[in-house]
Amino acid sequence: MMHVIIGGGAAGITAAREIRGWQPDAQIVMICSDEQVHSRCMLHKYLSHERTAEELDFTEKGFFEKNQIVQICDRVVSVDTADKEVCLASDRKIAYDRLLIATGAESVIPPVGDLRKAENVFGLRHLSDAQKIDKMAEDAEEILVIGAGLVGLDAAYGLQERGKKVTVVEMAPRILPVQLDEHGATAYQELFERAGVSFRLWCSVQNAVCGADNRIHSVELDSGETISCDMIVVAAGVRPSVGFLEGSGIKAERGIEVNSRMETSVKDVYAAGDVTGLSGIWPNAMKQGKMAARNMCGVKPMPGVDTEYADTFADKNTINFFGLVTLCLGALQPEEGDEVQVQEDMHIYRRAILRDGKVRGILLQGDISNSGIWQYIIKNQIDVRGKGKKLFQLTFADYFGTGERGKYVWNV
Amino acid sequence: MNQCYGCTTCESADKPLEGFIQNLPFETSHHRVEGQSTKCGFGLQGVCCRLCSNGPCRITPEAPRGICGATADTIVARNFLRAVASGSGCYIHVVENTARNVKDVAQRKGEIKGVNTLNRLAETFGINEPDIHLRAEKVADAVLADMYLPEYEKMKLVEKMAYAPRYENWEKLGILPGGAKSEICHGVVKCSTNLNSDPVDMLKDCLKLGISTGIYGLTLTNLLNDIVLGEPAIRMAPVGLRVIDPDYINIMITGHQHSMFTYLQKRLTDEDVVKKAQAVGAKGFKLVGCTCVGQDLQLRGAHYEEIFDGHAGNNYTSEAVLATGAIDAVISEFNCTLPGIEPICDRLHIKQLCIDSVAKKANAELEEFDFENREQVTEEIIDKIVKAYTERRSNVEMRLMEDHGYENTLTGVSEGSLKDFLGGNWKPLVDLIVSGDIKGVAGVVGCSNLTAGGHDVLTVELTKELIARDIIVLTAGCSSGGIENCGLMTPEAAKYAGPKLRAVCEKLGIPPVLNFGPCLAIGRLEIVATELAETIGVDLPQLPLVLSAAQWLEEQALADGCFGLALGLPLHLGLPPFVTGSGTAVKVLTEDMKELTGGQVIINPDAKESADILEQIILEKRAALQI
Amino acid sequence: MRRIIVEYEKCDGCKNCSVACMQAHRKSAGTVYDLDLTSPENESRNFIYQAGDGTYRPIFCRHCDEPECVMSCMSGALKKDAASGLVTYDEKRCGSCFMCVMNCPFGVLKPDRTTRTKVIKCDFCAQDGGEPNCVKSCPKGAIHVEEV
Repeated sequence: MMHVIIGGGAAGITAAREIRGWQPDAQIVMICSDEQVHSRCMLHKYLSHERTAEELDFTEKGFFEKNQIVQICDRVVSVDTADKEVCLASDRKIAYDRLLIATGAESVIPPVGDLRKAENVFGLRHLSDAQKIDKMAEDAEEILVIGAGLVGLDAAYGLQERGKKVTVVEMAPRILPVQLDEHGATAYQELFERAGVSFRLWCSVQNAVCGADNRIHSVELDSGETISCDMIVVAAGVRPSVGFLEGSGIKAERGIEVNSRMETSVKDVYAAGDVTGLSGIWPNAMKQGKMAARNMCGVKPMPGVDTEYADTFADKNTINFFGLVTLCLGALQPEEGDEVQVQEDMHIYRRAILRDGKVRGILLQGDISNSGIWQYIIKNQIDVRGKGKKLFQLTFADYFGTGERGKYVWNV
Repeated sequence: MNQCYGCTTCESADKPLEGFIQNLPFETSHHRVEGQSTKCGFGLQGVCCRLCSNGPCRITPEAPRGICGATADTIVARNFLRAVASGSGCYIHVVENTARNVKDVAQRKGEIKGVNTLNRLAETFGINEPDIHLRAEKVADAVLADMYLPEYEKMKLVEKMAYAPRYENWEKLGILPGGAKSEICHGVVKCSTNLNSDPVDMLKDCLKLGISTGIYGLTLTNLLNDIVLGEPAIRMAPVGLRVIDPDYINIMITGHQHSMFTYLQKRLTDEDVVKKAQAVGAKGFKLVGCTCVGQDLQLRGAHYEEIFDGHAGNNYTSEAVLATGAIDAVISEFNCTLPGIEPICDRLHIKQLCIDSVAKKANAELEEFDFENREQVTEEIIDKIVKAYTERRSNVEMRLMEDHGYENTLTGVSEGSLKDFLGGNWKPLVDLIVSGDIKGVAGVVGCSNLTAGGHDVLTVELTKELIARDIIVLTAGCSSGGIENCGLMTPEAAKYAGPKLRAVCEKLGIPPVLNFGPCLAIGRLEIVATELAETIGVDLPQLPLVLSAAQWLEEQALADGCFGLALGLPLHLGLPPFVTGSGTAVKVLTEDMKELTGGQVIINPDAKESADILEQIILEKRAALQI
Repeated sequence: MRRIIVEYEKCDGCKNCSVACMQAHRKSAGTVYDLDLTSPENESRNFIYQAGDGTYRPIFCRHCDEPECVMSCMSGALKKDAASGLVTYDEKRCGSCFMCVMNCPFGVLKPDRTTRTKVIKCDFCAQDGGEPNCVKSCPKGAIHVEEV
């Protein structure tokens, strides 16, 4: 059996490891554009020089050899699903019995002014992006970051640590608008500002013109302000990397369409991770990769071994900048009729949105110790009333149960 | 995030106070409850023994004896006796200082403010001395001489002070105490390593310590203080954080020894001292009542209106009192001075002074009160406080709570003032009890703790439940502070009483809860109980009277409780006193005690259930009296 | 694999297990007598929590068969060891994202209190031959190790 995996991110690596677990003798080929396996969640630590490229690797040493995975560093240009072949930029063709597409996503550079054309504008998605940014940053003083989501702030964090003067432009009235409420966002904004980063909120880049050197030296905001910059990092969103699928017959709209077994519209072709557009969250990508692998190996479901991607809850994030940690789960904005509970002191900020005794959303900032129960409570819609405790005092003790072999089970 | 130190503070019966504490930018005891919420089961049950180097030994099903062989019964009884002996020591220390103060004042021909009390005590003691000062000195000497007797000589005043049927009971049980100080020594010897292992024998010692604590530490402390500090007089006074006036140099007092403040409180109103305050921009000095010594001043407040504005709060309100920012100094002389006030005092630059080394706080200056040198010590204290005021006031933020508490709270109730109010005898009250307009009497006494539902929660809830059942409540101790700050001691609180008690209160213009003041005044309650029993012609256990130390906190409370049991009264506790690991101790305290003294311990953390149980006991006692 | 089996009915809440865990993982040498119980650096990896009725529930890492923490780890710090079945944690690799804290369905994990760069996670006392000190310290036998 020949398994071919395109992409060496969370989903691809997890799938490869899982396949090897089920089929010790199968062949596994992994095609990745970057030679170095890396965790994109740690790119900011590369920018800040806290880690080297090698230290971004999330696999153990000797992962490919130990698991007998053939790694090919190349770019896939097309997939021939009729002949079951993957065509590479080097004109090489790789035949497969089962194919997993785990190519992730690409940064979107908005069509504003010369942003797409200029040679000092970068996304921050891959190690190669970070390496380019890092190189140009050597000679840059002022850096503009477009977008104050997690990636934008990663970039801002990494570059300010290098002593750069960073300005972040964000369309929303607050930073991290998808993850945090105003209160939670302000706490991070203050930390970034204390570190020297400045923000322009509730405004967007209206124009950016290249100079003769093909670089943008300043941008105009819709507020009328002009901000000078030596380089720009754009963190304004991503789109699934599906360009090479044209003509393959694999159905893709925003992302590749998959069922719960991670099968695409074409037999023996699977997809997992950000390329499916199902979720942009690392744990979910890993889970998708694992389920795809099991189905690629023909594993039948049995107790303790799922083969379907069922735990699809994706409204979850943790944030950690400057040692301030945050957990955000579920709904961010209360709707009419929701109950909102807030607790705040000098160490913590906690906010819960409830309806009919069920938690719709939770935000914990400052201390997220032992907070894993909340994801379970939210995604399983557990009624939190009647435990004789205040909401934020709940622990697993209140739902404690044990199952076979000493496992814990939720008792609700 | 905001500036609050932590929002997981415990509940408080006093909701405005709870909100105030929750918003403070520094830690208080109320913040620490959650972090201490997982309690060691061995400790809670009293079956952890650390009396020798083999320990700590804990009792489990697999290890039912300590290494030495001590059973759970032995370990629990030893631990309990040790606690009662310590608690007794506290009160005996207080009465010793009080008696010495009476003697010192008398020898120097100082003012005797409570002549009636002096004469009453002299008569009881059989002292026939025409000179008032010599009379006072002899009364004080009689108390001191008794306390210093050895353990093997019985104290002489017990028979004179105790109700005759009780004395007979104690004599029969063999629990008449020897010298009060020696009894403490005897108790701690008994419960030391590899000595006594008989749980019943040790529990009987607890009763003995209860008697010496009650008659000397409680009852006589009150009466001796009345001689030199004045007798309580019924009046209305403000309570709560509202009493704090930032225009004055404010001194918060904590402890239990009112006599130690006599000279200071007088000096603070002298013109030359007031001028010192005025020179630095204050109107003068005020003492702000906190803990039991504050209740004592409140009780005798009719004599000190100029210097004392009212009682601010009890033990676990003290941090909030300091947090107002308007307190410039704390003077402490005894317990209920929480260690946790120290960092708050540091932060708010509040000067801490201790005038009795037993309550020396780590960051306080010791200015030991000494009658000989009282003038010099007092001047030093005053100068230090003025200096603190000058240095701190411009540097600290005020967090006043001007609306907290109540303006018209009844105070000054004592065995004497209440009898006077009733027309000089107890018949009107007995008649109301007989007619059923007052179903019974409950003494809700003792401390506040933070674990029986929260600060004052069980105390206040239980009090509401009791008055709703037409049971009049008499209070003494920090329970008073909590109940008064929740408004149950204003005449308007009559509306919370059952219909019959409400009618009585409205007719007399009194609240359904009467405040006897500090925990020491449990002794006064017991005088009331004794005189009621005498009026009716029965023994104490027959009265429709119950006690509750719902939120007992300290070892002292356990010694008090043992007095209640010796008197034969039902005693309710919200939380068990670390004895539940011993079946024998539980049986003796909750069951066998009924046969021994007539008393019993009832443990229940629920207000309604507790009130039901106490009401049932009252109804049974009424039925037995055929009323 | 071996797992710490919990019999919560026997737990008395004495927290000996937590003290033993702190002692086992302290940085400085010493005995339980000089373990600094006030230092925020001494953190227990197990937790005794009270249920609403006042009884206790020992919350200990299960080293799950399908560990959600491992399935959320973006740095490779958390791994399910095939041979021992234990979920191991490599502090040096950890990227401090705390997605594992978010993902543990039993709320066992927490960021370290002082630096917020590490996860506080049971290691089955690997340094003591894989015999958990918490188990040894329980006076009630409420936790024991079993081959499962």
